[in-house]
Amino acid sequence: MTTTRDPALVAADTGRDLDQGAFAETAYDFTEDPTTTGTLEIADERDLGSGSREMTLNMGPQHPSTHGVLRIVLKLDGEVITDCDPVIGYLHRGTEKLGENHRYVQMVPWTDRTDYVSAPQNNLGCVLAFEKLCGVEAPERAQYWRVIMAELSRIASHLVWLGTHALDIGALSMSLYCFREREIILDIFEAFCGARLTTNMMEMGGFSRPIPNGLIEQIRDFLKIFPDRQMEYQDLLQANPIWMARTKGNGIITPQAAVSYSLTGACLRASGINYDIRKAEPYLVYDQLDFEVPLGQSGDTYDRYLVRMEEMRQAIRLITQCVDRIDGDDRPLMAYESAYVIPPHKGTMTTAEDMQRHFIWVIKGFSPPKGEVYQAIEHSKGELGYYVVSDGSPMPYRFRIRSADFVNLSSLPHMATGAMLADIVAMIGTIDIILGSVDR
Amino acid sequence: MSDNDTDRNRQPNASTDGNQPDTPQPNRKYIDDETPSPAIADPAETIAAVTEPTAAPAEHLSTSTESAGEIVDPDSGRTHPEGGDESSALTSAADPSGARADWYDDDVERHPALRVLRDLMPDAVIAAVRFRNETTLHVEPQALREVCILLQRDPRTSLTFLSDLTAVDMLRLREAPRFDVVVQLYSLRYRTRVRLKAGIEDGESVPSLVPIWNGANWLEREVYDMFGLQFEGHPNLKRILLADDWSEGHPLRKDYPLRGWSEYPVYNTERTVARVRTRWTGRAGTA
Repeated sequence: MTTTRDPALVAADTGRDLDQGAFAETAYDFTEDPTTTGTLEIADERDLGSGSREMTLNMGPQHPSTHGVLRIVLKLDGEVITDCDPVIGYLHRGTEKLGENHRYVQMVPWTDRTDYVSAPQNNLGCVLAFEKLCGVEAPERAQYWRVIMAELSRIASHLVWLGTHALDIGALSMSLYCFREREIILDIFEAFCGARLTTNMMEMGGFSRPIPNGLIEQIRDFLKIFPDRQMEYQDLLQANPIWMARTKGNGIITPQAAVSYSLTGACLRASGINYDIRKAEPYLVYDQLDFEVPLGQSGDTYDRYLVRMEEMRQAIRLITQCVDRIDGDDRPLMAYESAYVIPPHKGTMTTAEDMQRHFIWVIKGFSPPKGEVYQAIEHSKGELGYYVVSDGSPMPYRFRIRSADFVNLSSLPHMATGAMLADIVAMIGTIDIILGSVDR
Repeated sequence: MSDNDTDRNRQPNASTDGNQPDTPQPNRKYIDDETPSPAIADPAETIAAVTEPTAAPAEHLSTSTESAGEIVDPDSGRTHPEGGDESSALTSAADPSGARADWYDDDVERHPALRVLRDLMPDAVIAAVRFRNETTLHVEPQALREVCILLQRDPRTSLTFLSDLTAVDMLRLREAPRFDVVVQLYSLRYRTRVRLKAGIEDGESVPSLVPIWNGANWLEREVYDMFGLQFEGHPNLKRILLADDWSEGHPLRKDYPLRGWSEYPVYNTERTVARVRTRWTGRAGTA
């Protein structure tokens, strides 16, 4: 404030009264505050009586609401969290080190084990990274099937999230209903590839096995029943005042904080940032499909719930379009013209040359060109990135998994500090962590 | 940028050849060093805001119906007619045309991130590589934070999102430097990516990116845990995935054996109970 100007003019310009004297009159005199100038007895009484001494609480790693082996060291002032330190690594298996000691094709089953509730999406990201490195592109029909399996897996993952998240907050029946529908999806996976959990269904270049008969009808049955079931979930939860009270206003993340913490997936979109890799950098046939990206407004737990529920509806929409387009399609499923994909089964069993080629491919593996790629896909948790460095040998020189929930979990101290102890259970659930993916 | 810049970047060889012998090239060998770095010796002034790292919220982050409007170039004052609107940048994501064409141009000198660095921090760039439609910029390790702040704030790049931060042990690929710190940046405005690499020796350190992005906190802790690299200015650099008292070194280094340094017991694999030979009944008449 310049002293040469008239204070009245300054007040008229800025809308505020900047006169020092007026400010001093209205300001609160802290020297008269009995709590700050109190005697020693009063301070001791306050420490003991109101419980303001800090308490350290260890939550996990066997706590049922931490979704695995997450351990959180909490500092509490009464019921208010003053500090929160997540401790991870209890499920660390060294997947990146294993990636440097396995051939490229051998790494795809390992990615099942990182995020074990949505294995097809992990396979998809890994396979797309290898294909990008080798310059292989799967045929269009295989890409549609990949979208179907990835979106089914997204629904299956969100169902686990919804069931356990609601279970943590107190809606026990929700998990029973969610796992009932998840079983249908796992049955589809079983019919498609023979496995339910660790599917290993994606291969470089497409799919080497034929699509089983009746699978499309099985998927159509699921598409028929699921929207109604999802309305049941909404009726159960959104008509429940306890659910609404415990999720609304809980764990608010501003858009600036969401970007600063590198959040991805529903955690980012619930804060209003429009970043969906399926739209921003379309990787399969997503640019030919019609779907929308839901965005939240307030960035709280309830918005993240709404965004994920809408993502399930959009996934149903995507699967419906894909199934309609490839029903009755008999185009090839595998890019056999490339030397980087597994040789065809029929020739392997009949001709000597193909058998030798198959033998070399399986025993020695293929050698991609030197270089490095980063392939990101929109996982159900967020951005799943695979960064692969190749030195021209049959094994990756560096195999990096950028898992979304590892980065998303780092925002938990930001959310939890200052919140109540009971709310941290909702915050862990809303980040949607799978500890196999966090620890890798 | 002015018209002179545009012309220069369309003909990179014509204008950069004159300046190249004057600038000392960094004495570093990279595996993909086919593309020489034509360092431009323009004494460009670095913006003052680069030196103070703060968590900078970008102004275009409002994703409601309001559009960010036109981008005003701070150098020339001219406006870019194509950029700025979030929704238009998103709808043009499918075809890399218009504002995003330079990001995918085969001539890496036309890449906006490289052009920004050539303009404002020409000494920081060591090399630029394109592979599989991706751009990698090798930068000086001590300038990594300033480079990130510059690319984050310049409206030509707007690389406001830290996508990933990791490292690679280059022990078997080149002589020096040993490690590469790899930073994947993403532009929420232009929907494009760029990768920064900073090569450091064992025992050296790079400036931490936590003052810019909070998300770098755990990622840098993981790099320290797995590679033993130091980040200057990190608030809490300790192990994250391995145990706090892990004393066996850093497992993702190339000289770390797959099973670790510890002695593991070799279990007795010999059979203690004699195997009972069962009769082969696979074919009729041979029993």
